[in-house]
Parts: sequence; C-alpha cells; structure tokens
Amino acid sequence: MNRATQAFYYGPYGGRFVPEMFGPALRELDAAWRKYRKDPVFRKDLNNLLHNYAGRPTPLLKADRFAELIGCNNVFLKLEGLAHTGAHKINNALGQALLAKMMGKTRIVAETGAGQHGVASAAAAARLGLHCTVFMGEVDMRRQYPNVYNMRRMGAEVIAVQEGSRTLKDAVSAALKYWAGNLQDTHYLLGSALGPHPYPRIVRELQSVIGREVRRQLGVYGFSAPQLLLACVGGGSNALGLFSPFLPDPDVRCVGVEAGGSGPEQGRNAIRFGGNGRTGIAQGFKSVFLQDQYGNLAATHSVSAGLDYAGVSPELAWLKERGRVQFCSADDRSALAAYDTLSRSEGIIPALESSHAVAAALAMAGTLHPDTVMVINISGRGDKDIFITAPHFEEKAWKDYLLSEAAREGRNE
Amino acid sequence: MNDLFLDKLQAARLKERPLLMTHFVAGYPAMAESRVLAEALAAAGADILECQLPFSDPLADGPSIMQANQQALDNGSTPKSGFALLDGLSARTGCPLIIMSYVNIAYRMGWEKFALACKKAGAYGLLMPDLPLDEGGAEFQDLLAAQGVHLLPVVSPGMEDERLALVLRKARGFIYATLRSGVTGARSGLESSSLDFLRRIHQHSTLPVAAGFGISDKVQIDSLQGLADIVVIGSHLLDLYRTSGLTAVQRFVRSLQS
Repeated sequence: MNRATQAFYYGPYGGRFVPEMFGPALRELDAAWRKYRKDPVFRKDLNNLLHNYAGRPTPLLKADRFAELIGCNNVFLKLEGLAHTGAHKINNALGQALLAKMMGKTRIVAETGAGQHGVASAAAAARLGLHCTVFMGEVDMRRQYPNVYNMRRMGAEVIAVQEGSRTLKDAVSAALKYWAGNLQDTHYLLGSALGPHPYPRIVRELQSVIGREVRRQLGVYGFSAPQLLLACVGGGSNALGLFSPFLPDPDVRCVGVEAGGSGPEQGRNAIRFGGNGRTGIAQGFKSVFLQDQYGNLAATHSVSAGLDYAGVSPELAWLKERGRVQFCSADDRSALAAYDTLSRSEGIIPALESSHAVAAALAMAGTLHPDTVMVINISGRGDKDIFITAPHFEEKAWKDYLLSEAAREGRNE
Repeated sequence: MNDLFLDKLQAARLKERPLLMTHFVAGYPAMAESRVLAEALAAAGADILECQLPFSDPLADGPSIMQANQQALDNGSTPKSGFALLDGLSARTGCPLIIMSYVNIAYRMGWEKFALACKKAGAYGLLMPDLPLDEGGAEFQDLLAAQGVHLLPVVSPGMEDERLALVLRKARGFIYATLRSGVTGARSGLESSSLDFLRRIHQHSTLPVAAGFGISDKVQIDSLQGLADIVVIGSHLLDLYRTSGLTAVQRFVRSLQS
C-alpha cells in the first residue's frame, strides 16, 4: 500500500488487487461514485426508488413473543425481507443500477450466491431499462431454483458457472471476467461489501440505509440507541448496513454471525473468523479468507447459499481486528431450528441466512440483561429456501408433492 | 539467466521473427506429464517456457487454463512441487523460464521466500497479474530484482495513457501486453485496436514486448511482425493438448517456427 492507494484500505485490508485491465473501469466507477453520491438528482431518484419501488422504510417490529424465549423485553426485528424482492439486496442493486445508468451504461452483470442479489439486480435492471446478466454457480442454481426462475421472468440472462466449487466465489470470478471483456457498456453490480476498491465503500454506503432507519424507528419506540445488534455475515453487506451508522457509538455492541455449517473442520463451514481463516489476497481484495496452506481458496459449506463464501468484507475484517465488531457462528442445525422458532413465534419466515442471526439471539437466551435493546436484522424472507427447508421439516409430504407434480407434468406431455 | 534471454532475443531480431513463449501449468495433467510437456515444447522449438503455478481462483484466465489449474490442484500440485519441477529445466532446455502465478500464492509463501524460489528455479521473470505496482508490486519488484528476477508488467488496451506510462516507467525485463481486455482464450484474427495498443506501448518504452491472449495461428503471429518481440501461446496449446495429445502440440509448435 502507498499513499495513492491508502483510501482503498481499512487498516491492512482492502485494496485493489486486480490485473491492470480492470483498472480503467474501477477508476471510472470510483470517479462516478464520488461525483453522484451526493448529487441531488441521484439522491432524489434513489430515494424515490427506495420508497415507491422497494417499499422502504421496512418495518422495525417489536417481537414480544420471540423476546420471551430469550428473556429480553426489547427485541426488535428489522424486516428487510419485506423489501421488494425479499431481501436487503435491493438497496444496493437500485443504487448501483441507478449509478450505472447515470454513467451511461446499458448493461449490468452481477454474481449471485443465494440468488437474492441476482433477483434484486434483475429487478433493478428491468425497472431502469438495463440489460442484465447474472452469473450463478451451478450448485447454487440447484439449491435456489425459485430465484433463478424469477430472475429469468424479469428478463435477466442467468448463466450457470461450472468452474471450481460452482458457488459464489466462482460466480464472482466469472462476473469479473465477463466485465473485463465488456467494460465499455457494462457495469459490474457487485452484491456485497467486498471486492476491489471502490466496491466495499459503495455497497456499505448504499446498505447503511438499514441502520439509519433503525435509529429513527427505535426513537419512535422511545429508545435513543440499541445496545446490541445482530446480523448474519456472508460477504457482510447486511451486517455493515445495520452496524455502520452505529459504529461511532462504542456503547452499541455489534455481533456478526457466521455460518457454522455442519462442523468445525475446514470445508464444513464458512467461519472466516474462527481460527481457520487467514489473511489473504483474492478476488481483488485483501481480507480474511478460508484457504489451504498454499493460498488456494478453500471449499465452504452452509445450509444457506448466501453465507458460504470463503472471504469476507475487508471492513469487517478490520472491525474484527479492532475489536469493534464481535463474531460468533450458528451451525446448520441451529439455523434451521431458529427458522422454525421465529416462524411459529412471530409468523415471520426468515431466510436461512437471517436464521443464523436469529439462532445467535436464541443462543444468548438468559445471558442478557432483560432490558437490553436488541435489533436482529432479518435480512431476507424464507420463501426462496423451500427446496431446502421443506425436505427438512416435511420430508414425506414434500416428496409426495414433487412426485405428484412430476407425474402430472408427465401426463400432460 | 539474463544472458540466455538476451541472446535469444538478439538472434530472433536478426532473423526478424518473434520469440515463441509457450505456456504450461505445473502439475497439469499431472506433475510428471507437465515436465514431459515442457520439455517437448522446448524440443519442438519453443523459445521461452512460461510455467503457471496453479491457483484456485485465477482472475485473468479463461476456461481452458482455469480447468488446468483446478486439475493440477486436484492432483496435489503445490508451489513447492511446482518449483521442484522447474529445477534445472531452463538449463536443460536452453529456454529462458518465466513463472506465472497469482498474488495469494506468493503472499502465503512469503514474499522473500517466493522470490528466492524463483531465482533457484532459474526464472528470468515473474508474471503476477493481480499484484499492481501500487499495491505492493513495487516492493516485490525490488525483492525479486535482488535475486536477479524481473517482475514483468502485464498491460492491457483499455489502460489510460497516464497509467500505462506509470506502469511502463518502472518496467524491467519485458512487457507482457494482452491483446484485448477480457480473459485468456483462443480466438481467430487480430483486431486493429490490438495492433494500435502495441504501437502505444512502444511510444512509452523501449523494452521488448510480449503479446498474448487469443493467439492461435501463424497468420496472427505474422501480423504482429515488428510490433512484438515475443508471442505467447497459452489456451490454444492446452486445448490442443487436451483434444489431440502431445504429438499434435509439438507439430503445431514446429509449424509456427518454420
């Protein structure tokens, strides 16, 4: 790092570790972002889209029945799942798609893991009249068919990534490569607060609407600030979106929840901050990555497709190192249990990603002061996970249903 | 090492033909076979050998080379076994050696250790496309230089003049120019913008220029005459090796040198 690139960094993390061929596009994006982020027209158009299209502000619900289960009186759920397309991802997608349009681009390319960012990008592109190409790992496409279908219906082209582990990291690489060959007319709409500078900054800022709303909404309930914030961490965009407005306030405890997967061994989870993660440089940035002893990114696992990424936001890596954000993990089993608990106690079906944050809250039961003001980010809703949750909770009914539908389709042919 | 490269370059310039740099992946399809491939390339007339130490997420490579990286890793190829493969290769074949890899491989091994290993392997230069000069590349360049190894810049057509000048001002060894933006992979023909880009480079630097990305036939190579001292064949060789085997690869390399 030198003086010229200091602004790219969060402590030792971040940077712009890309081949020179990406440089012009990243510099163009950086300049455009600095030009438009405070531009009155851009702000007005974005706020209009967030309000009338995405449905913001999303509610902050005081979840009393759920609160009883953890022995706290003041548990709030930030219902990002009620934003259009079902997750917080739309905040960033609309902002970047609008920026792309102001830059004169006609196409966007995006990567997606769980498909939520892909759906949000497809929607934003359709709304703003941009052509959209989404790269998605073949494994994730199988796990998240409803999202694949919805992206296609909104006019996006979904391309199956067959390289490597065929999950999110491979989709990031594929999208970056496609971009490199189409820089003139294409904006790369990166979905999380990571990648080469300026993406971590752009995504964090566009997502921070979550935390700003929370502060205002808590005020209506009579609280000036929360004491505890909980959010799941895949790349880190919903967590940073919630945390960032509160980071200057040391009394607000921020906890990120990683995917504990099926066990503590490398390859069975996506816990970057739990001992297996090491500092590394990949996919255009320096951060903490799950990797082998030689530096190759490691395979990850989580029941939720949106959390199984080998790297993590460089800003979160720095906040962790400074002790400002703490991390814990929830495994597949406890995430599924939390999904069930929240569905039954509040009538809210959370995404499996968000279920990890719910699981962490449940794990804190009895350890917190009853008056603790806690906000859990329900970053998405769980409809998209039916192919994972249904076989788990209703194996026979689900199988019978699929078989009967398959038979019906067969008869109709 | 310097002499080997410069002698080759001078001889090629006298003959008014470019040097042929051929790419292979350490450990693809397996360690022993990649050694056989490298030696066969040299025997067929390749002038420079470019060895890629595999990485899981190669950002500048297209499908052919990606797949070779993955297979090499699946076969247990490590930086250590890759460097061991290269030991003595340059001296044995009389070909200057270029090592190519991605930054995390060097970062994990440790900058100094990696630089030393490059020297021990007899490398003339190192290509590390995802380590820009202003992200630690300049410091690594110094470490490598202390071992007599050049960190070779990789430049692309879309680069602004100012940036190109900055990168080329610090360049040593030779300049690797990608003929287009995008990733490696064979395709036919050459665009005029690619040739314009090579002309732009010569305005900024007097160093030899290697042209790569998308080269797969003699016609393309001939059209680079006078603009590139070195032509790089990567993906096409891998594709040929995969579909038609070692003999076909050798026949192809010979046909380019005739």
